[in-house]
Amino acid sequence: MKKCVFIISAVIILLFMQAMIISNEPSNKQELGELLFFDPILSIDSTISCATCHKPQFAFADSSATSRGVGSIHGLRNTPSAMNVAMQRNFFWDGRAKTLEEQALAPIENPNEMNLPICEALQRLKKSESYNSYFKKIFKDEPTRSNLAEAIAAFERTLETSNSQFDQWKFYQEPHAVSEAVKRGFMVFNNKGKCIQCHFGANFARDEFRNIGLFNARELNDSGRAVISGDPKDAGKFKIAPLRNVAITAPYMHNGILKTLKDVIEFYNDPAKIVPNAINRDSLLAKPLGLSDQEKADLETFLMALTDKSFDINKK
Amino acid sequence: MKRILVTVGIVISLLAFAPKNKLVGRWESKPSPKGNVTGVVFNKDYTYEGYVNKKPFVSGTYRLGHSTITIEETGCNGVKAVYKLIFFSHSDSLRFEAISDSCAERKEGMQRTILGRVK
Repeated sequence: MKKCVFIISAVIILLFMQAMIISNEPSNKQELGELLFFDPILSIDSTISCATCHKPQFAFADSSATSRGVGSIHGLRNTPSAMNVAMQRNFFWDGRAKTLEEQALAPIENPNEMNLPICEALQRLKKSESYNSYFKKIFKDEPTRSNLAEAIAAFERTLETSNSQFDQWKFYQEPHAVSEAVKRGFMVFNNKGKCIQCHFGANFARDEFRNIGLFNARELNDSGRAVISGDPKDAGKFKIAPLRNVAITAPYMHNGILKTLKDVIEFYNDPAKIVPNAINRDSLLAKPLGLSDQEKADLETFLMALTDKSFDINKK
Repeated sequence: MKRILVTVGIVISLLAFAPKNKLVGRWESKPSPKGNVTGVVFNKDYTYEGYVNKKPFVSGTYRLGHSTITIEETGCNGVKAVYKLIFFSHSDSLRFEAISDSCAERKEGMQRTILGRVK
């Protein structure tokens, strides 16, 4: 009798485990991309996944100025959010990738990040019985450079958010979805703060590169876009960062130099006060904005209202 | 009392004969090849909100003329623009033809957009 109970239990456990495995099996390229995004198999020592730096709880950004890659090596720039990328046309702070597919593979090979040559990554995926079968099922092909990129990019394209307080107010036409402070902050954003000049669009960013005054060729010596374009006039220019979920993606700027949204607002209010010797700062920021304390507070409240409800920062 | 009744009567008649704002309501494009849906909500108070994939990106005010619309919005440095309104399909579809708009980015977007009324 005891033996019978044991066998039945074992069979139930086996069936349960099989069901778990089946339920984990991706049924499309987005799900395969998600699996890959969270799997450290794509780093040289199998310790780092895309999600190690693009943390879901921080809107797929990181909470440190620069993220640690394999061997605890720090990257050179702040990890941008991997959310709301579907409509973007430039990727990385210097815009070195033109498509999400191109972007998706770069961190795998980057020595400061995952440090795994793509050919080795593909070998690993081919050797993995499960991954090999997933790729064959979904792409009708074994893992290749192109379908690996396609899968990760497809997952990233699912990371769109459009349910913030701001969206409730403007898209769903609910005037009480936001406070009066948010409405005032939106006015500051559009007018006195001049934020909209660069942060315009569905994700609050133009597809452009600007020099906001964080380059002085000394201690701030990342020349940004110039390395890619080869144009010295682009020295100190970086991609305009989208602002959706910005309240949970601190620290800020390409080097993570500003720790809070308050710091960011103080910086833009008078950049020369923070970095006096900046080279080629954008003419939009030539004069201090002269924001009052109330306007600064309203602007911060507005920026917080861009946080998707799935993160619900008010509960923290 | 008579005067009040006359005044109310005049107001009602004026309202009855006032041109109806056919724009009021939600309008959306068909999905683009990449699946993006552009839309705009024209409000009765002559404000509007533009969006892409349910993400608002522009707020503005509008004035209506004889088959024209004048807009002023948060994008394009607040530069005003005038477009001809072309309704078709029993006024359930709408497109814009630029009369004057110095903002190239907006002009390009507006002229290629065809919107359908969301019912």
